[in-house]
Amino acid sequence: MNGFADIFRKLFDMTAFSNLVDDPSILIMYLIAFGLLYLGIVKKYEPLLLVPIAFGVLIANFPGGEMGVVQADSAGYVTLADGTREIIWDMPLHKIAHEFGIMNYLYYALIKSGLLPPIIFMGVGAMTDFGPMLRNLKLAIFGAAAQFGIFAVLIISLLLGFTPQEAASLGIIGGADGPTAIFTTIKLAPHLLGPIAIAAYSYMALVPVIIPLVVKLTCSEKELLINMKEQDRLYPDKMEFKNMRVVKIVFPIAVTTIVALFVPSAVPLVGMLMFGNLIKEIGADTNRLFQTASNGLMNAATIFLGLCVGATMTSEAFLNWTTLGIVFGGFCAFALSIASGIFMVKIWNLFAKKKINPLVGATGLSAVPMASRVCNGISTKYDPKNHVLNYCMASNIAGVIGSAVAAGVLISFLG
Amino acid sequence: MSNLGFGLQLMLIGMLTVFVILLIVIFGSRLLIAVINRIAPAEQAPAKASSGGASAGSDVDAVLREAVAALTGGRGHIVKVTKL
Repeated sequence: MNGFADIFRKLFDMTAFSNLVDDPSILIMYLIAFGLLYLGIVKKYEPLLLVPIAFGVLIANFPGGEMGVVQADSAGYVTLADGTREIIWDMPLHKIAHEFGIMNYLYYALIKSGLLPPIIFMGVGAMTDFGPMLRNLKLAIFGAAAQFGIFAVLIISLLLGFTPQEAASLGIIGGADGPTAIFTTIKLAPHLLGPIAIAAYSYMALVPVIIPLVVKLTCSEKELLINMKEQDRLYPDKMEFKNMRVVKIVFPIAVTTIVALFVPSAVPLVGMLMFGNLIKEIGADTNRLFQTASNGLMNAATIFLGLCVGATMTSEAFLNWTTLGIVFGGFCAFALSIASGIFMVKIWNLFAKKKINPLVGATGLSAVPMASRVCNGISTKYDPKNHVLNYCMASNIAGVIGSAVAAGVLISFLG
Repeated sequence: MSNLGFGLQLMLIGMLTVFVILLIVIFGSRLLIAVINRIAPAEQAPAKASSGGASAGSDVDAVLREAVAALTGGRGHIVKVTKL
């Protein structure tokens, strides 16, 4: 009889049930994973991002599965299976894979090395059309106003006791740009990468919920009814394009040069964004590069980034007050960025003859093109003929450049 | 309080840099467009759909005829093609 009991006990220990009994907090992580999967699959909130992240959370929380990313302490030390401690940065990748599993190998090779965010930016650039921004250049300035949330939350976080590096990483969530948030956090506060990446991507996925909420709290119906096409007709722009193709080819080269001269630390992001855009705009001669950057490479990078970011969310790393503070602070940064873009439009409208729909300010944060699509949905709800998509895209695309520049400033000062 | 001062300083520098860069992008792009308008040849307007439409349509018809013939072993033929 004892033999049978022994076999059953060993079987029980082999399964993940024994870990659930030892640490029931894992169940909370399963619920979070299921919640994120529900949002991605059923609600269709950024499924390309949310599904890999949510699945990464799920598979990371089966102890023994070795799919969770190990958290090094602030000095970079991790504990190995034999009880010895080593600095993870001194460990070769094959040893990381052997000691902690394949997910840690991917995480340290692709994410913590800072490789994937610029690659994703290249893909974003290859999929972005700067045409709407070039046709409505004035509106690009709202992409700057919407970066206010980053710095406002940075100050609040400093007052709450976060270090300047941690506060900057937390604030950058307000840029609404996942790769930028990851890139900045890797440089400034790598120990907070998991919760910051999760918060950044979750809020990006929740753009269809957060933007309408902030718009409802800050805009009147009269403001939302401002028809941009009507304003264009009343006050036409004198600028004309004789050769848009040449403009679109020279633009990424010029922007890269300008940003590189002023904020060199933003070049990994802005440079790759503009390179991706350049190979798109050149056309047939670089079509193969464009296809790779916008399809194969981008999709592969998204899969690995999503799974690895999700895998950082183990119960021991996530269920603590710092993480909850990051999730809450990230939401404030996000909402403040949207609101500051809206208020900049309101101030503009006080002085300008040509009125601007405040939704154009709300899209000043990144999250391209979802933020613009959501704002177009809001405007057509009030007036089915009032399509603001192209105008919102102008500030939305400028917001990508703005948040990358803000990240560059933070890295320059605090890195 | 020193934290608050440092944070405000960072906010001022950060927001100023973002505004300056985007203003340079805006005015630089205007300059770029003006220069390109002056030196680059004007873009050719795309050919009207009606001129190429007939040949494109007949190509499509030919492909459809061949496909139907291949699938039906030569027994079937197209009577009418309607654009939905």
